[in-house]
Amino acid sequence: MLRRHGISRRGFIKFCTAAASAMALPPSMGVAMAEQLAHARRPSVLYLSFQECTGCLESLTRSFAPTIENLIFNVISLDYDDTLMAAAGEAAESARTQAMQDNFGKYVLIVDGSVPTGAGGAYCTAGGHSAVETLREAAKGAAAIVCVGTCSAFGGIPFADPNPTEAWPVMAIVGDKPIINVSGCPPIPEVITGTLLQFITTGKVPDLDEHRRPKVFFGNTIHDRCYRRPFYDEGKFAKSFDDEGARNGWCLYELGCKGPTTYNACATVKWNGGTSFPIESGHGCLGCSEPGFWDKGSFYAAQSTALWGKAGESSPREVLELTASAVAAGAVIGAASAGVSRLRQHRSAQDADQHESNGDN
Amino acid sequence: MSRLSEIPIRIEPPPALGGLGGGVAAILSELITLLERLADSQESAAIDLRSLPMNVDDLAELRRALGEGEVRATLDAEGMSAIRETKVPGVWWVEHRDRHGELMAEMIEVTRMPQILMSASEEIATGAHLLREQLALRSAPRIR
Repeated sequence: MLRRHGISRRGFIKFCTAAASAMALPPSMGVAMAEQLAHARRPSVLYLSFQECTGCLESLTRSFAPTIENLIFNVISLDYDDTLMAAAGEAAESARTQAMQDNFGKYVLIVDGSVPTGAGGAYCTAGGHSAVETLREAAKGAAAIVCVGTCSAFGGIPFADPNPTEAWPVMAIVGDKPIINVSGCPPIPEVITGTLLQFITTGKVPDLDEHRRPKVFFGNTIHDRCYRRPFYDEGKFAKSFDDEGARNGWCLYELGCKGPTTYNACATVKWNGGTSFPIESGHGCLGCSEPGFWDKGSFYAAQSTALWGKAGESSPREVLELTASAVAAGAVIGAASAGVSRLRQHRSAQDADQHESNGDN
Repeated sequence: MSRLSEIPIRIEPPPALGGLGGGVAAILSELITLLERLADSQESAAIDLRSLPMNVDDLAELRRALGEGEVRATLDAEGMSAIRETKVPGVWWVEHRDRHGELMAEMIEVTRMPQILMSASEEIATGAHLLREQLALRSAPRIR
């Protein structure tokens, strides 16, 4: 099968080795993954898009490891995606229903976009069916649901105040299936493909955090792994986007960086095949992988002011005054967040050790 | 208001990430354990260098510590890969790059021979079949 697609055995081993490395799996998993995928029937995958901007799918198509063509041709059978597929209308919908019947109980359902419930679900309809109806029908036969993007994972921008369409995340609509949230606005391409690859290869849901996000990618805060952390520790902060501190690459905390409370892989996996990430390019983290990030105050006010003041409603002068007084406290918040992150990881490791010693599976 | 060209630019080296990196001694110690296991039970293992918090200097120090061996192999499959044995027999440094030259994976394998270099059994049989067909073509009478 690989040779028919022009992929050599060694090339496929390389691809699986890189994917295993990206997912922080043991190196030996790369070869095991290659052997399993080379001989297995490609699993059926359905991709449903609801109240979304298509940014998450755009991100997925820019994955470097595996590339979207590698994913579609070698790893999965993408049986429905209304953006990518050539078919449209009745032909597309019949392909979806046929795939659901043929693979009932075994297909992977990927969802992006939130699900509006207002006006009987009329705010998002396709082919005469609301998003709610389509999601519930597709969920029945899914082995697992992968929610790609903050909208499907936590509601995203449609869910933000005042939420005029009464949008909800997928996990508020479907309660009886394994759900994996790959949050981010959008998520990093390799985080999406790595999560899919891990589930498809192992058949198991990866270890998830309290928001159902894979710990391998969402186990650390941006702050934990940020290369500018030494500047934070030394108290060197950029005060504006064009001052000397900014040009020297100092910490962007005072310019609104939400790194201390944002769990994601941006600082390690990065974007565009490891090229850079927002902080490295000079802009603070927006916190886009966290629930409700649109409603957590200004992106450009220091995190401490957003939490303690009404930065979104204050004048610029008031914001600056609040910022000046809150920086020291903000440093405490950053350190506390790092401490919380470490404690979560330590407790998680202790739980894992306890389960292992008890002989749990 | 000053002109853009009048704003001085000063380039400072990035701060040393001491405290986050290091661990070269720990890796070397782990390699000793893995080599002893390989010698006793023929069990291969690997260390994924990208999973470790190592900076550029740490990697350079590790390369110097392990040195260069006699064997170098280049793999051309979905991009170039470099596989070389270090001066420590059984310790191989493997770099996988994609078609764009981007580093996809970098690891140290403790093994007699990295599995990716070995030919697969099923492919060997296919190879024999292909050669047989080629030989048959050569032996076939030519139409003049």
